[in-house]
Amino acid sequence: MTATLGRFLILASVLISTTGAMISFAAGRKHAPEGVRWAQRFAYAYAALMILATLVMEYALLTHDFSVSYVAHVGSRSVPTWVTIVSLWSSLEGSILFWGAVLGIYIAIATYLNRDQHVEYMPYAIGTWLGCGAFFSFLLSGPANPFLTVPAAADGPGPNPLLQNHVLMVVHPPFLYLGYVGMTIPFGYACAALLRGRLGLSFLKPLRASLMVPWIFLTCAIMLGGWWAYEVLGWGGYWAWDPVENASLLPWLTATAALHSAIVLERRGVLKGWTVTLIQASFLLTILGTFMTRSGVFNSVHSFTQSPIGPTILAFLAAVLIFSIALLAMRIDTLEAEGRIEGAASKEGAFLFNNLIFVLLTFTVLIGTVFPLIVEAVKGKQMSVGRPYFDSMVVPAGTALLFLLGIGPALPWGRSSRQQILKALLPPIVTGGVLLALGAAFHVDNAWTLVTLFAGGYAAHVTLAQMWQPLVQRMRRGDTFSSALVNGQLRRGRRRFGSYIVHAGVVVVLIAIAVSSTGRASHEVKLQRGQSTTLGAYTLTFLGTEVRQEPNREATIANFAVTKGGKPVTQLAPRMNQYPQMREPIGTPAVYSTAKGDLYLSIMNLEGDTAGVLVLWMPMVGWIWIAVIAMGLGGLIALIPSRRVIPSEARDPVPAGDASALRASA
Amino acid sequence: MTMNRIVLISGIVIAAALVVVLFVGLGKDPSIIDSPLIGKPAPGFALKAVGTGETIDVARLRGKPAVINFWATWCGPCYQEHPVLVQNARVLGSEVQFVGVVFNDTEQKIQAFLADRGSAYPTLLDESGKTAIAYGVGGVPETFFLDKNGKIVAKYAGPLTTEELQANLRKAMQ
Amino acid sequence: MIFLFVLSLLQVQVPDAQQFVGPPKGVPISGAMLDQRTNETASLLRCPVCQGLSVADSPSTMAQDMKHQVRELLARGYSQEQILAYFERSYGQFVLLKPKFQGVAALVWLLPVAALIFGAIVVVSKAKQLERGPEPVADAPVEDPYLARVRELVEKS
Repeated sequence: MTATLGRFLILASVLISTTGAMISFAAGRKHAPEGVRWAQRFAYAYAALMILATLVMEYALLTHDFSVSYVAHVGSRSVPTWVTIVSLWSSLEGSILFWGAVLGIYIAIATYLNRDQHVEYMPYAIGTWLGCGAFFSFLLSGPANPFLTVPAAADGPGPNPLLQNHVLMVVHPPFLYLGYVGMTIPFGYACAALLRGRLGLSFLKPLRASLMVPWIFLTCAIMLGGWWAYEVLGWGGYWAWDPVENASLLPWLTATAALHSAIVLERRGVLKGWTVTLIQASFLLTILGTFMTRSGVFNSVHSFTQSPIGPTILAFLAAVLIFSIALLAMRIDTLEAEGRIEGAASKEGAFLFNNLIFVLLTFTVLIGTVFPLIVEAVKGKQMSVGRPYFDSMVVPAGTALLFLLGIGPALPWGRSSRQQILKALLPPIVTGGVLLALGAAFHVDNAWTLVTLFAGGYAAHVTLAQMWQPLVQRMRRGDTFSSALVNGQLRRGRRRFGSYIVHAGVVVVLIAIAVSSTGRASHEVKLQRGQSTTLGAYTLTFLGTEVRQEPNREATIANFAVTKGGKPVTQLAPRMNQYPQMREPIGTPAVYSTAKGDLYLSIMNLEGDTAGVLVLWMPMVGWIWIAVIAMGLGGLIALIPSRRVIPSEARDPVPAGDASALRASA
Repeated sequence: MTMNRIVLISGIVIAAALVVVLFVGLGKDPSIIDSPLIGKPAPGFALKAVGTGETIDVARLRGKPAVINFWATWCGPCYQEHPVLVQNARVLGSEVQFVGVVFNDTEQKIQAFLADRGSAYPTLLDESGKTAIAYGVGGVPETFFLDKNGKIVAKYAGPLTTEELQANLRKAMQ
Repeated sequence: MIFLFVLSLLQVQVPDAQQFVGPPKGVPISGAMLDQRTNETASLLRCPVCQGLSVADSPSTMAQDMKHQVRELLARGYSQEQILAYFERSYGQFVLLKPKFQGVAALVWLLPVAALIFGAIVVVSKAKQLERGPEPVADAPVEDPYLARVRELVEKS
């Protein structure tokens, strides 16, 4: 019965989304207010259906209803309840259902927030969103149906063990979905602007907000994925340039570029077509990313999510590509520039350079990821493009970005005299030098890391100066510190404050990546019980192994005592988890994190009383996770709107004598 | 409305290239690696046979086509494949030389396996794994087919079926 | 004598790099230098049984075997190039994580550079265009019914 209900809800959502899309596009063309209302109703209906269907699935999972095919696939009576709840997205069909629900929620919120405004754009946007929703509902009704009825078994195999191994694996997928799926909303707005043939500057507000929200989620999701790889996979790294990792990075790169070009758009009224293109690219890259993760075409860490729906997703990708390109080619020239820039040696020029680097990075990562496929298709030969390639390409670009993080914000808008430019660009060199000296004092000897430290110091100086500028200006005018803080930074200057927090986070991340990659020390050794090994200042003594039976797995734990300078510091317990349905055990390393760096211990092999272990010292790794969280928080601060939006009232034309009415609605 | 030609053409080129490449990639399994050794002489080695202890030199296999099967006792599909090899070895043993090579394993486990499932040809132990590396073995089981001059004519990755075995043998016998 | 000769003939013999890439071109190394170089070279080789991990990072037994062989060859004085060539011979270009700058593979190195140059040209020309400012009003009026109505009313009054 549950399965039937689920199938019914999905079929209804297919109907609602396809009908709704058609009605919304028609309403967009007709400009009838009733049409807009209907578009909104369909949007809410779609959201309601998808949320209900997901709740039905969770109900089936929690009541262990093994007659529902998805529950039979991933459900189990012997796993903890939280695992049952998150197994919603542990396998293909459920994750597509989750995608649909998240999309529904986003559509409902975006529709509600703009219910009385931008009526010329919204129907087109809703139409685009419902069109995308229709695809996912179609998948759920056929190729990836989680609600099929199967003969009810007594129990099920449970979700993929990797999901149960670590808490980060619980958080990473939802954040990733919130980021990925969220890109559909700005895509809808971008298509609406193109379909309407206009991108008014007042429409920028929802456009940028809708881009910022998924950007924040995606930023955190990428970091969580890296953190998970670091804490779980045992090779002591957080980024391997795996195809699926790259898939999550690509839309992030174009979205970041779009966020920046939108600033120039807001200030100068230029780069409309370019910003719209970047937003469309961000959405398209999420569909490409979904394809890469699920099609089986790429050899990757994520291969447990491979499935036969690859061709269907590819068809959708082709369809949205055609739609986007056609729309762009036909309408991009209607998005007229409303201003101009005054010279390249300005903030505007820096933004252009920023976009150049981000797009280049996107291109390079994409090319590196698909190149083996191209070569195999054309020449039949197999080759690999791995970490050494990506590192050689991305590191210089990252360093250029770090310098730009300093130069861009320091430069004034518009044309400035040579003197002004020098006044802006020279002082931070001092801070750059300070950081460089600090690095040298800490025995950093890698040339590239030293360059990074200098650039980081430079960028940090500019970021902090710009971040606190409102406060400083208000205090110069006579305000008290607390009033300047609240008014300058929190009440009025949130966008600036939040954005510079994000920049500060980026500076820390880039420095931490440089230091942790080049300052890493490793040591592989076989120890008998009672033996010790040292790495840097730490001594690790192997105490022995124990076997622990847990409800869903058998864990073999190797216990180590860690001392520093003779004094006990901590106990580390790396383990090998054997899940019943997997042939090889999954190892989990043990990590001891300090502000200076992480001591990382991973089991390579265990034979009786001998443990083969990998000991690593990873300096500054913890800073990466914290700095990215700061980036997310900065984004949130920047996102909070400053003024209550009052929908414009004058919509019908008034007699020509009253010119103020012409300016009332844009 | 005018068509922006630059956007149209560059968009079509990028999109078409991407979709075509991905489409072609769909039919393939990314974990199957082609062997660059096909057409080249098989790397020589001489290893101890499990059980008899005698050393078998691959160079001595010349004169007849040979089947070199890399496997291990910890490999599930190898259990599936073993009866196929044993049966075919019994039938074709006079015309084709079968040899098994095991690496990353112990002699006891191998002997237990063979005692259990039968053996019709020598099984050699590659203790260091160097032979496997020289043959570019990426996983187990993998089987190499040599012609009577010691040249590798085919490589099959995965558990063999009788049809596959005989199809590849035909290549070796040409 | 003959007995020893015969015995030597029965020696276990594994394929050696010497047959494929010739004698070592460098000097034998040991100790910390050997550890470091092993790690470096192993990071350039792809573990054939893993999903994209390098031989240096992979815990699988196949990767461990390969790492031992890298170590042994380095200790004997083989250069990194020779070692990579040896593995390439058995596994194909697939095993090289850093694409060779040769043939089709060279494109993956050249395309980003070409993109950089192309992108820089585009950005510079776009900047120049933006400096010039918006073009004079387009010929065909934008089809906005609101504007049309306004125009109507303006014309009427």
